[in-house]
Amino acid sequence: MLKISDLHASYGGSLILQGIDLSIKQGGITAIMGRNGMGKTTLMKTIVGLLSPKSGRIELADESIGGLKPHKIAAKGIGYVPQGREIFSDFTVFENLKLATLRYPRKQRHIPDRIFEYFPILGKRKNQRAGSFSGGEQQMLAMARALVTNPKLLLLDEPSEGIQPSIVQEIARILLDINAKTGITIVVVEQNVDMVFDLADTCAFLEKGRIVETCPVDDLREDESMITRYMAV
Amino acid sequence: MTDLIIQILNSMNFVLVLIMVAMGLMIIFGLMNVINMAHGEFFLLGAYTVVMTNRLGLGFWPALVLAPLVVGLIGMLIEYLCIRHLYQRPLDTILATWGVSLAIKQLIIIFFGPAGLTVAPPLPAMVSVAGVEYPAYRLFIMAISLAIIAFTFYVFLRTDFGLGARAVIANRNMAATLGINTRRMYRTTFTFGAALAGLAGAVMAPIMSCDPQMGLGFFIPAFLSILVGGTGTLYGVLVGGTIVGGGDSLFSYHYSPVVAQVVIFSLAIILIRIRPQGLLGGKNHE
Repeated sequence: MLKISDLHASYGGSLILQGIDLSIKQGGITAIMGRNGMGKTTLMKTIVGLLSPKSGRIELADESIGGLKPHKIAAKGIGYVPQGREIFSDFTVFENLKLATLRYPRKQRHIPDRIFEYFPILGKRKNQRAGSFSGGEQQMLAMARALVTNPKLLLLDEPSEGIQPSIVQEIARILLDINAKTGITIVVVEQNVDMVFDLADTCAFLEKGRIVETCPVDDLREDESMITRYMAV
Repeated sequence: MTDLIIQILNSMNFVLVLIMVAMGLMIIFGLMNVINMAHGEFFLLGAYTVVMTNRLGLGFWPALVLAPLVVGLIGMLIEYLCIRHLYQRPLDTILATWGVSLAIKQLIIIFFGPAGLTVAPPLPAMVSVAGVEYPAYRLFIMAISLAIIAFTFYVFLRTDFGLGARAVIANRNMAATLGINTRRMYRTTFTFGAALAGLAGAVMAPIMSCDPQMGLGFFIPAFLSILVGGTGTLYGVLVGGTIVGGGDSLFSYHYSPVVAQVVIFSLAIILIRIRPQGLLGGKNHE
């Protein structure tokens, strides 16, 4: 589905990604874990085209997408939920979702009903200003917005950050539900171990700009030493 | 009393045309972070489109359609040849567009000479407004400016294109990752902004002396309007344009244009010191 080989990229002048090798299989849910400053967000931004790779390859379904413009990558089927959500707070819920349809010809610009089935709260508050939402609701809006672009691969950057635990569980449940129903591939950058256990089937650890370990989440459940090794400050 | 009414009508006239120019300048700045120093010259080119149609014997009215088309096209060309390559370097765009401004002015001098040219009034009739005789053409200017301002608001607040443009203004990276082609949006917007200035130049040509420096008289107050009103919403231009344009014409009338300039500049400096984001606020991001 997504294959990254020997990827190098820099952010703010310093080389952050130093040879990422990562292979994401179709239909799975992969968590990328690691301490702060190890390059998780840089990796996300490079995949969606906000940063250009210095070298290396990024392939989506056997097609090279490294270095393409962000709107082209979105059209290839990558949906992105950034860190901090970045919803358009002055816009209504409907306008936030509508934005994700603008790349289609005028007649095809509609928001699929299933989006409101996944997130009933958004359907009820279509005309409410997104900025008035709580953190958890904004996170759901950001996820819904990414899904409106109709992606094959959904990237989420720290979806649990700053959100109360009960909502984090609900978000994990919704993501599992969407994954089960549509077969969408999900990659989530996450520091919240509980959420990773709830959600992911595979976990990759990022350290100093490289993927140093990849293993099934079930293995982590039995032996948490890896989490201590790569996550403890 | 009669003088006052005429003065108020003239002020409204200036304010509405100024808002038309400032809106173009602002949407270009809002979307692309480009301060278009050649914006006054788009106004100039619009006015000289009227000079051309007059010389060709077509009269004034075809220029009303031709000016925005011609100037929009020139704007598109400038975006393609010059500005497109400088989006990563906002400071350099100031220098580059300033260069474009100088080049356009010199080209106008080469083709039309440095002297002021006048255009025959397209609507010489006077009409009675609130008890005073007022030129019909100036009323026409107000009507068309109002229509264009309303149209621009409609485009930016009610259409899909406007939604995309406002998203790019608020957060360009996020808009891009949702599939919006920001580069194409820049070109469309630059073309649209240039066309607005071109139309403004065309409607003002018959009541101004058309000379190569005429753009400056609108560029500077347009620029101040944006600083005063803020770049966060289109409504900022309405507020800024009314304060700057209205203040300028009132002070010019009661004292002199020089006093007006001093007062307006001083007020703008004070306001920017107290409220750097402008009265209605700046952009949300960046």
